[in-house]
Amino acid sequence: MTPKRILKYSYYPGCSLHASASEYDQSTRELFKVLNIGLTEVPDWICCGATPAHNVDELLSLSLCAKNLELAEKVDGDLAVACAACFSRLKFTQHTLEENDVKRKQVEKAINAPVKLDNRVKHLLEILARDLGLERLAAAVKKPLKGLKVACYYGCLLTRPPDVPNLDCVEAPTIMEDVLHAVGAETVAWSHRMECCGANFTLSRPGVVIQLSNAILESAKAAGADCFMVACPLCHGNLDIRQKEIEGVYNTSYGMPVFYITQLVGMACGLSSEKLGLGAMIVNPMPLLKEKHLI
Amino acid sequence: MSRIGVFVCHCGENISRTVDVERVAAEVGKLPGVAFSTDYKYMCSDPGQGLIKKAIREQRISHVVVAACSPRMHEKTFRKAVEAAGLNPFLCEMANIREHCSWVHEDREEATVKAIEIVGMMVERVKKNRVLPTITVPVTKRSLVIGGGIAGIQAALDIADAGHEVVLVEREPSIGGHMAQLSETFPTLDCSQCIMTPKMVDVANHPRIKLYTYSEVEHVEGFIGNFQVTVRKKARSVNEDKCTGCGVCMEKCPIRKIPNKFDCNLGTRPAIYVPFPQAVPNTPVIDRENCTKFKTGKCGLCQKVCGPGAIDYEQEDRLIVEPVGAIVVATGFDLYSITEKPKGSAIKGYGEFGHGKIPDVIDGLTFERLASASGPTGGKILRPSDGREPKQIVFIQCVGSRAREKGISYCSKICCMYTAKHTMLYHHKVHDGQAYVFFMDARTPGKNYDEFWRRSIEEEEAVYIRGMVSRLYQKGNKIVVMGSDIAVGVQVEIEADMVVLATAVQPRIGADSLAQKLGISYDKYNFYSEAHAKLRPVECATAGIYLAGVCQGPKDIPDAVSQASAAAAKVMTLFAKDQLEREPIVARVREASCVGCFACKKVCAYGAVEEKEIRDRQGNLIKVVAYVNPGVCAGCGTCQATCPSKSVELDGYTDEQMVAMIEAL
Repeated sequence: MTPKRILKYSYYPGCSLHASASEYDQSTRELFKVLNIGLTEVPDWICCGATPAHNVDELLSLSLCAKNLELAEKVDGDLAVACAACFSRLKFTQHTLEENDVKRKQVEKAINAPVKLDNRVKHLLEILARDLGLERLAAAVKKPLKGLKVACYYGCLLTRPPDVPNLDCVEAPTIMEDVLHAVGAETVAWSHRMECCGANFTLSRPGVVIQLSNAILESAKAAGADCFMVACPLCHGNLDIRQKEIEGVYNTSYGMPVFYITQLVGMACGLSSEKLGLGAMIVNPMPLLKEKHLI
Repeated sequence: MSRIGVFVCHCGENISRTVDVERVAAEVGKLPGVAFSTDYKYMCSDPGQGLIKKAIREQRISHVVVAACSPRMHEKTFRKAVEAAGLNPFLCEMANIREHCSWVHEDREEATVKAIEIVGMMVERVKKNRVLPTITVPVTKRSLVIGGGIAGIQAALDIADAGHEVVLVEREPSIGGHMAQLSETFPTLDCSQCIMTPKMVDVANHPRIKLYTYSEVEHVEGFIGNFQVTVRKKARSVNEDKCTGCGVCMEKCPIRKIPNKFDCNLGTRPAIYVPFPQAVPNTPVIDRENCTKFKTGKCGLCQKVCGPGAIDYEQEDRLIVEPVGAIVVATGFDLYSITEKPKGSAIKGYGEFGHGKIPDVIDGLTFERLASASGPTGGKILRPSDGREPKQIVFIQCVGSRAREKGISYCSKICCMYTAKHTMLYHHKVHDGQAYVFFMDARTPGKNYDEFWRRSIEEEEAVYIRGMVSRLYQKGNKIVVMGSDIAVGVQVEIEADMVVLATAVQPRIGADSLAQKLGISYDKYNFYSEAHAKLRPVECATAGIYLAGVCQGPKDIPDAVSQASAAAAKVMTLFAKDQLEREPIVARVREASCVGCFACKKVCAYGAVEEKEIRDRQGNLIKVVAYVNPGVCAGCGTCQATCPSKSVELDGYTDEQMVAMIEAL
């Protein structure tokens, strides 16, 4: 085993984790506490621009993220990000500013500060699987998630575009599965791990989202999964909040709880359902967890 | 006293646009030692060269400086002209005022001043040039051909037919290469075996071709006209002289379930085998990894049943040294493996296509084996998973090719045509089936090629969908193909029974290590580099080594055959002379000051430095010094830079010449 070193990070929760995905935020903080990983919220962070900004104005979208990166430099350690969309934008900005000097100068002018890119942007998955390491993660498990069959859903943003996030293989990643295997869960092999759920069309074109998310639910169910694991508040919203509606439209029944990574890993590390915010889930996970003797 | 002539070229407008060439000629004319200077629009043209020759004769010019383009472009041209006028060609130097000056500057005044300085340096240098006599070396009129695919076979036959001996080395147990695996060939649909196997027989029967199969090039020494090649002949465990090719050993071998590589692992073969029935030579090989005799010491059945007693379990690898004068490299290709991402490779793999996980997702070469009359299904198109005939088949082009984000940016050139052929073969064999093709562009330049592609659509009813596929996944008995049709702008989903991927063509695995043995250059994909992309497409920069076939870049059969014949013609040109002339730009050792430290020997990449004993008249050893073999020396100058006692000088690039140039600045 590698020698223990103290891990600490600055933390960018992003807007969703302070609102609709507060249970993701809560479970992240609790899990990191249990794993003895330092987490300091970036002071005075602002919106990353998420999906709309880069469609409207490139400089604006880069500047919003660059401002957050600048703020994060004030805290020791790499920048931990939970939301897949925030992760994508911050990582993309870091990549662009490293590669393109002209844009870097424009952005520095816009935020009126020099851009330092010393600290890396890291997704929670990377921190768990690589920085902490699967061995140390497995050692922290108190209650292995035995018998739970999970469909790992990556969505669009975690690994794409090629050469930017460098989280894992772009089209056939295994990092979520690796983390879950370390905490004793089973994962299913299924077809729609990387497909789009419809994302923020959930408000403007719900019909599209219902169709796309149904395909995801259907294929995971067919592959024998009990539940989902996700890393993105938008994916979570579409699969969890809309699940009932989708079942109605397609006249079927899925009943598949949608967990965040930190909720499942936290559960294995012995955290209570209150601390993990399981009560905030729309599809009630309790019957499944009881059936598997996990609570 | 030297009488130097300086000739300043306009290069059309390439130089004169930014450099005042007339002023350069006038200014340089004032330098001491310069007897004549002039300018001309195209110095390399016939009248331009005439100008130089005339000046040499009429002005009694002793040294020449041509101020023009890079010496890489025209040094040979001008040295030839100078030689024709009666001067030693090495008394001519080029001052590069194009690449080093006019092309990279905008300010006319500054560029002109720089050009005058560049020419001035070369004037001082040429004063120190010595007359260098041409070096001649003998030529061994035998050729090595590496690789026994169609390119290697063609080159070997051409050279041998011209009356020269050929040593043909093939890694596999049989010659034939990929072409022997193909079913039918575009654009005529003639059977590949029918046109290939007679050529293989010609090779085997040719009195001047020495064939080494199941062999590899181990080591190469020497230089153009005089290579020493060590060939490793791997132990076949079968005596080739005794074996009659009756095949009883293969019938009786109890190990039968080894996947047959020749059939893309669709069929099986015994542990003693020939890769395919038409193999040349028709002598089996024992696969020692899978043979019970080699694994446990028991069995030995093949030896018992072999009438002529050809089975020899004790046989060992043999190393054979072959002297040759020229080498043709024709090592061919491998297909991009999308099953897994090769370790440490820039290639990213295609996890989203499930190849290797979904049994009915196959590559183009596997489809060739299915369609081949001599293949594992006898020419029937059947699914590897359950042996059913696929009624809906999807072909996906550009898998790996033209995909920068996957690590390969080039076009593999052959896939558009072979996919069109596949749709035809499929339609001929499965009449009620439907073929779909996902493509980016149809690239069909070639005689009768576009007509062939049109035929697959218009007569053979293949449906072409312009767009790429994002994902394949198994759904029950079907494979769901998710793609886009960019002509209509919609997402497409097809439930297919079988999917064929037109995977990219790559150089053979290990092409780089062979290149290092041969001392030839290769690109980032490991394709071997030709000396000039347009004007020397079959020669390597390393003299005496020639390229044929896909090892140099993706090619179809006619292109590979053409290049092979071209390489053979180059070899014949080389063999037309008994003695070879070499540029005398070689290193010389000043024996008086050499202390024999042999630092030069350590750094020489060409093995040109030898040890030479200096003895007095009584034969007593005085000292050992370095000696540079002028036949081997490539003139790189590394020894000159390394020598601590400054005892090595590279002719044409002496320290004296370099210092003179610097002092002129």
